[in-house]
Amino acid sequence: MKWNIDSDRPIYKQLIEQIEYRIVSGLYKPGDKLSSVRELAMDAGVNPNTMQKALAELERSGLVFTVRTSGRYITKEIKVIEEVKKTIAFDEIERFFEKMQSLGYTKREIISLIETDKERGQENDKHPNSN
Amino acid sequence: MTNILTATDLSKSFGKKEALKNISLEIPRGKIIGLLGPNGSGKTTFIKLVTGLLVPSAGEIKVNDLDPGVETKKIVSYLPERTYLNSWMKIDDILSFFEDFYPDFNRIKAQNMMQDLELNSNDRLKTLSKGNKEKVQLILVMSRDADLYLLDEPIGGVDPAARDYILNTIITNYQENASVIISTHLIADIEQVLDEVVFISKGQVALTASVDEIREEHHQSVDGLFREVFKC
Amino acid sequence: MLGKLLKHELKASGRIFLPIYAVLLLLTIVNKLVLSLGCPDFFNEETVSHPVMEMIFAITLLLYVAIVVALSVMTLVVIVQRFYKNLFTDEGYLMFTLPVKTRDHIISKLLIAMLWTCVSGVVITITILILSWGTFTWMDVTQAYSMLSQQVETQLHLSMGLLIFEAALMMITEIVASILMIYIAIALGQLFNQHRIIAAFGAYVVISVALQFIFSIAMLLIPVFNLDYTFLSLADPTEVVQWFLNGTTAINLLLCAAFYFGTQYIMKNKLNLE
Repeated sequence: MKWNIDSDRPIYKQLIEQIEYRIVSGLYKPGDKLSSVRELAMDAGVNPNTMQKALAELERSGLVFTVRTSGRYITKEIKVIEEVKKTIAFDEIERFFEKMQSLGYTKREIISLIETDKERGQENDKHPNSN
Repeated sequence: MTNILTATDLSKSFGKKEALKNISLEIPRGKIIGLLGPNGSGKTTFIKLVTGLLVPSAGEIKVNDLDPGVETKKIVSYLPERTYLNSWMKIDDILSFFEDFYPDFNRIKAQNMMQDLELNSNDRLKTLSKGNKEKVQLILVMSRDADLYLLDEPIGGVDPAARDYILNTIITNYQENASVIISTHLIADIEQVLDEVVFISKGQVALTASVDEIREEHHQSVDGLFREVFKC
Repeated sequence: MLGKLLKHELKASGRIFLPIYAVLLLLTIVNKLVLSLGCPDFFNEETVSHPVMEMIFAITLLLYVAIVVALSVMTLVVIVQRFYKNLFTDEGYLMFTLPVKTRDHIISKLLIAMLWTCVSGVVITITILILSWGTFTWMDVTQAYSMLSQQVETQLHLSMGLLIFEAALMMITEIVASILMIYIAIALGQLFNQHRIIAAFGAYVVISVALQFIFSIAMLLIPVFNLDYTFLSLADPTEVVQWFLNGTTAINLLLCAAFYFGTQYIMKNKLNLE
């Protein structure tokens, strides 16, 4: 997964989001050791102080913890990760709804659209080798 | 710990032309700072004052609480915008030269970087292309274990791959008690590695802020703000 | 750090001088061989050597003279070029940010310039000795010296040693002063933003003319203050010679100090790299 920093939002916030995403998507597993600040900063091509700030923020929210002598680890508490996952999911849904509403759909219409889309998807799944 | 660099009411004129007017700045240790401004705004003059190549007309400049001189030159690693590698020396000779004059020069590190960028240590400096000369100079400067790095337009002439390598070098070299000042007008390329930026306009400080402050308050990149502030 | 500057200065200039010395010595030996084997009687009007050999010798001799002239010119050119190019062009960005005192920059350049001036002189002397080898004996030399020193002692009441010492001192201070005059001219020239070399040359001419002018005035003043009577009243040739040698040395030292501190001031406070 590549780091992707866009230009108009604070860099540390974008770093937080992307590390969170890596954790909830399972790329970084619970209990995994994180690379050093410098390595992460180099990998993302950002200032080490900014990466440091992002990690401190993640530590505050409990996704990451520090063992004094050996470094930073991803939390082992699945509950915390699930919580973050849910937050991200709700954020995504909200953004989706905003966009659909700006296209002129009502909430009800949107949900029924999702249902049709799901059925279409299942149809396709039934005959995976049909062509 | 004291600031690595302090400028107080610093002014410099050449004849009647005022290149810098009452600049006051404090640069702490452990930061990567962008000195941004259009051409002719006084960036190079400021850096030359820090190195001691120029003497202030008024005000003062202190590096680690000292006036620029032999003692500050020991801890300042300076990359000029010009290439000074026009001599008969081979790359190896210039490495020995740096090793002789700068106790903090790490030859092994320099040699490794030369290899990474496919520079041959037996090549004569005179015969290198402009881009390669810039790379050699940057390697020389970054291979020192200095307290203050002054990089004047470090990415002007090199290709994008080398530019990424250079930025990586700056990040890896970052140390808690050292600061890096990068002067440039190509902001978009380096914005992500900066802590703070100083906008210089017509010899005066127009703005100092952290990169994320600018993004938070103005909802745009430093590059975007720069284009807005210095619109022609 | 002065030691390291000297080392690098020696390296940078040695690679120009050493090949010239080598060529010069080689040419000298060729000349000597042609002369002693081909036409041993070249300088004798009465006997005629083989015309082809005379031709060859004439050519090698001409080459020898050309190289001697080239070496003298090169010595001057290198003195100018090392100071100007190494300190006041782009290379200055490297040199002036080294943790080195301004003083050491000037002194290292000056000492190495002195060194090559002396070595060039010695090398040329050696080649002349080689060429004229066999036309004199060691005896001739010692005899000539003792005759000269006797004359000096009877007529000037001066020991030859002291005379040589004072003359050498005068010459050395003369060389130092002329090198430092080149340096201050270059330092003044770099104050200009364009045509810096022409400006440096102009500065050199102006300083020369100014010095000429001052000396002429001083000469004119001598009769005004009746100093010429003082000189004449000395009448003793010893004192006249002493006055001349030591006076010149003193003036040279004064010029050295003025040029040196002027150069140092400009380099410290008025550096104007392109």
